[in-house]
Amino acid sequence: MQMATGVQNQERLPENLKKQLALAVRNIQWSYAIFWSISARQPGVLEWGDGYYNGDIKTRKTVQAVELNANQLGLQRSEQLRELYESLSAGDSSPQARRPSAALSPEDLTDTEWYYLVCMSFVFNIGQGLPGRTLASGQPIWLCNAHYAESKVFSRSLLAKSASIQTVVCFPFSGGVIELGVADMVLEDLSLIQRIKTSFLDTPHPIGSYKSIPVAGSTGNDKDLACPALEPQIPDTKLSPLLGCEQLEMASPNDSSDGFEPNQPAEDSFMVEGINGGASQVQSWQFMEEEFSNCVHHSLNSSDCISQTFVDHGNVVPLCKGENDNDNGLQDVQECNQTKLTSLDIRSDDLHYQTVLSALLKTSHQLILGPHFRNSNQESSFMRWKRNGLVKSQKAGDETPQKLLKKILFEVPQMHDKGLLDSPEDNGIRDAAWRPEADEICGNHVLSERRRREKLNERFMILKSLVPSVSRADKVSILDDTIGYLQDLERRVEELESCRELTDLEARMKRKPQDHVERTSDNYGNNKMTNGKKPSLNKRKACDIDGAELEIDYVASKDGSTENVTVSMSNKDFLIEFRCPWREGILLEIMDALSILNLDCHSVQSSTTEGILSLTIESKYKGSTAASAGTIKQALQRVARKC
Amino acid sequence: MENSTQESHLRSDNSITYESPCPVYAMAFSSAPSRTSLNHQRIALGSFIEDYANRVDIISFDPETLSFKTHPTLSFDHPYPPTKLMFQPNRKSPSSSSSDLLASSGDYLRLWEVRESSIEPFSVLNNSKTSEFCAPLTSFDWNDVDPKRIGTSSIDTTCTIWDIEKGVVETQLIAHDKEVYDIAWGEARVFASVSADGSVRIFDLRDKEHSTIIYESPQPDSPLLRLAWNKQDLRYMATILMDSNKVVILDIRSPTMPVAELERHRASVNAIAWAPQSGRHICSAGDDTQALIWELPTVAGPNGIDPLSMYSAGSEINQLQWSAAQPDWIAIAFSNKMQLLKV
Repeated sequence: MQMATGVQNQERLPENLKKQLALAVRNIQWSYAIFWSISARQPGVLEWGDGYYNGDIKTRKTVQAVELNANQLGLQRSEQLRELYESLSAGDSSPQARRPSAALSPEDLTDTEWYYLVCMSFVFNIGQGLPGRTLASGQPIWLCNAHYAESKVFSRSLLAKSASIQTVVCFPFSGGVIELGVADMVLEDLSLIQRIKTSFLDTPHPIGSYKSIPVAGSTGNDKDLACPALEPQIPDTKLSPLLGCEQLEMASPNDSSDGFEPNQPAEDSFMVEGINGGASQVQSWQFMEEEFSNCVHHSLNSSDCISQTFVDHGNVVPLCKGENDNDNGLQDVQECNQTKLTSLDIRSDDLHYQTVLSALLKTSHQLILGPHFRNSNQESSFMRWKRNGLVKSQKAGDETPQKLLKKILFEVPQMHDKGLLDSPEDNGIRDAAWRPEADEICGNHVLSERRRREKLNERFMILKSLVPSVSRADKVSILDDTIGYLQDLERRVEELESCRELTDLEARMKRKPQDHVERTSDNYGNNKMTNGKKPSLNKRKACDIDGAELEIDYVASKDGSTENVTVSMSNKDFLIEFRCPWREGILLEIMDALSILNLDCHSVQSSTTEGILSLTIESKYKGSTAASAGTIKQALQRVARKC
Repeated sequence: MENSTQESHLRSDNSITYESPCPVYAMAFSSAPSRTSLNHQRIALGSFIEDYANRVDIISFDPETLSFKTHPTLSFDHPYPPTKLMFQPNRKSPSSSSSDLLASSGDYLRLWEVRESSIEPFSVLNNSKTSEFCAPLTSFDWNDVDPKRIGTSSIDTTCTIWDIEKGVVETQLIAHDKEVYDIAWGEARVFASVSADGSVRIFDLRDKEHSTIIYESPQPDSPLLRLAWNKQDLRYMATILMDSNKVVILDIRSPTMPVAELERHRASVNAIAWAPQSGRHICSAGDDTQALIWELPTVAGPNGIDPLSMYSAGSEINQLQWSAAQPDWIAIAFSNKMQLLKV
């Protein structure tokens, strides 16, 4: 019956309660007012119902441009604090919903605001803690020196000290408890409570049911409140309604060492709003009869339970386990700038405090990477990792893993090879033969076979470039044309031998090589040699060669005569004449050097006499920026000297 | 210069997406702010098309408005897909030079000069001997201590160290028994590489005769595909294996035994990047569509290491870069999208 009323209570907090609280606390100029109401989810437990904050403010953030009066500002601040608490404690379950648009972040809070915020996480069993005892007795409790109070009397004393809250007053109201706090020392003055009740809170309630709640009666009815709720959840059948509530004792960690007198004023529950499902509730309650060790065991469990719920990667768990060590966890506390705590002995409520604070801060600073990381209003794209979070449909089993990475590493290099070697018409065939599976690539056989073929193809390309009038690009045609060409050459050599004297003389006069064989080879290299070599080397002297500039230069080499280059340019056409000592492969090197310079050679004449290679190359520059004559000369000389 | 601002998609999960006309693989953040708008950051995106014609586009990102700007003039053709892109490192001051350098690897190492409104080829660094055609490059790394050095890794088992100022090869080492897949600088003269032979080797240019094997994959010859050296704490590097969901964290002081193996990806890992400003954080991304940020613990627990945070993309994430200039941004690439994630 009362449970039902409790639920009702919770659901229908008077709408104007916040305003009443505001009015009252502003009038007496205290720091805050909290209304503790019976929890709807957990009958027999007092939890945060509403509150109004009237204390110091560090950073004010507002979303409205409208000017607000002091009262509105106060209400807004209280709302924002509540939002911040909810968003922080919701961190795990719905990270995307965290930190709604405006609002505050933990850095914006004063110590007093922190106190107010952390209060939201407390719950009290009836008869326990300041609000619980107030509700149980039906009498107001006036606590001076709250910050020095025994934690058994006032479990939040340490918190209060950090926030400089000195006086806390609780009195029953409307089925719950109103708590007021101030940073000053105010001596007990019951008339003040009376005044508040009559002037600010005594407005008739719109909901009649409030009046019917027997507030004072809760002392005797504790059992009714608590036991029916607990009974089904506790597996241990020793608990029967006959035992009565007096025999239920809470075991917070420090109780275990503090002794077990019955009726000991209990401390605040470790249960934290929002997380206390049935399990934690069970663990936080103890039977007096049970062994000391059991108490310890259970209390550990209950603290674990809290910390795990808040911080699921378990950073806080060691804190709880090491609870006898007074130093433990201070670091965490200090991180929150609550350094005042260090001098105080660490009791069970600190544990709660630390747990809550570290949990709140952990969720708000998901990734503290040091001072370099800017504070930005933008929220992280990442959410806290969860083992089973974000379950997506797995890839189909036959899908290649690392598909693109493997293509980049295994197949793209092949493309470059092919691009250089293949003529378009046989691409299709090669594709089939040249695209080994990823795992085969590692095989040595495939590798060496590929290299052999590369070399063969390469040699064919050279041959094709040297032999004129190769009509088709396939290998048989290249060989046929080469045979014909060689036979032709042999015939011409014989012819030329017969008139050697004449040409010799002529050559000396022109400083040109004698005995040259004059054939034109078309289409050297085509696109294939220059594929992928478009950009020139660090030379953007396009303007230099605009217009019909003619540049002729003879460069004598070290020995003065065996090596020389002539480069003449007209627009984009180059005529290169070049002599150098012959050696194996030099022709290919020259072609390579030219193709790197982006020169497309359409005619090559070459001859070799007495170890001297003579070349006449007609080429065209393809592309926007051309190499200068000097660059070409240097490139050729580099080749010539490389022997 | 013609610019167009593309609508950014500020989605519910707070990532900003750029859709490219073609699939994206290579990706790089510029270390230098743009001259005209200092807080804008340039990002180079390399296409992945299995054909000759590929492109590299440069877009810029404004972290204030969370929008991208495309620059139609800042774009060039690339023969086949670039295997890696990287801007010249450590160029914090915009006044030092009017242009920025971008490097790309493929058939050769190429440098491009990125100006305010144009891109010009700067140089092509080709080390191929006459008897061989090109030895295609799988990756490269730009030395951030000595920015005239770039090291390349090739399928011909070698690593080549270039002096890009002189345009000459400083040295070429036969680094591995098989294809070299990635290379990473530690110091000015120290680099490491990973290979199809399954080893991570460290080289010191002052002693080219020797290399140190600091890790070998557990299955013989299981290739190692990528390598990342922790620039904030040079004791650590990370590598990934072929067909493996593991990120292997190595400590160069304890060779052969990895200090940690991060095994929370549900499919193979494709990319890794250390946090530019923290020695203890690394991001990894893989086929399970997730990007995970990890914090290396001082002592590893018995059940392995859980990531700090996660992000899930639309499909397999192929690429991951952590901006050194603006370390609260990570870029990932999947299918034809590039997404910027706030850390």
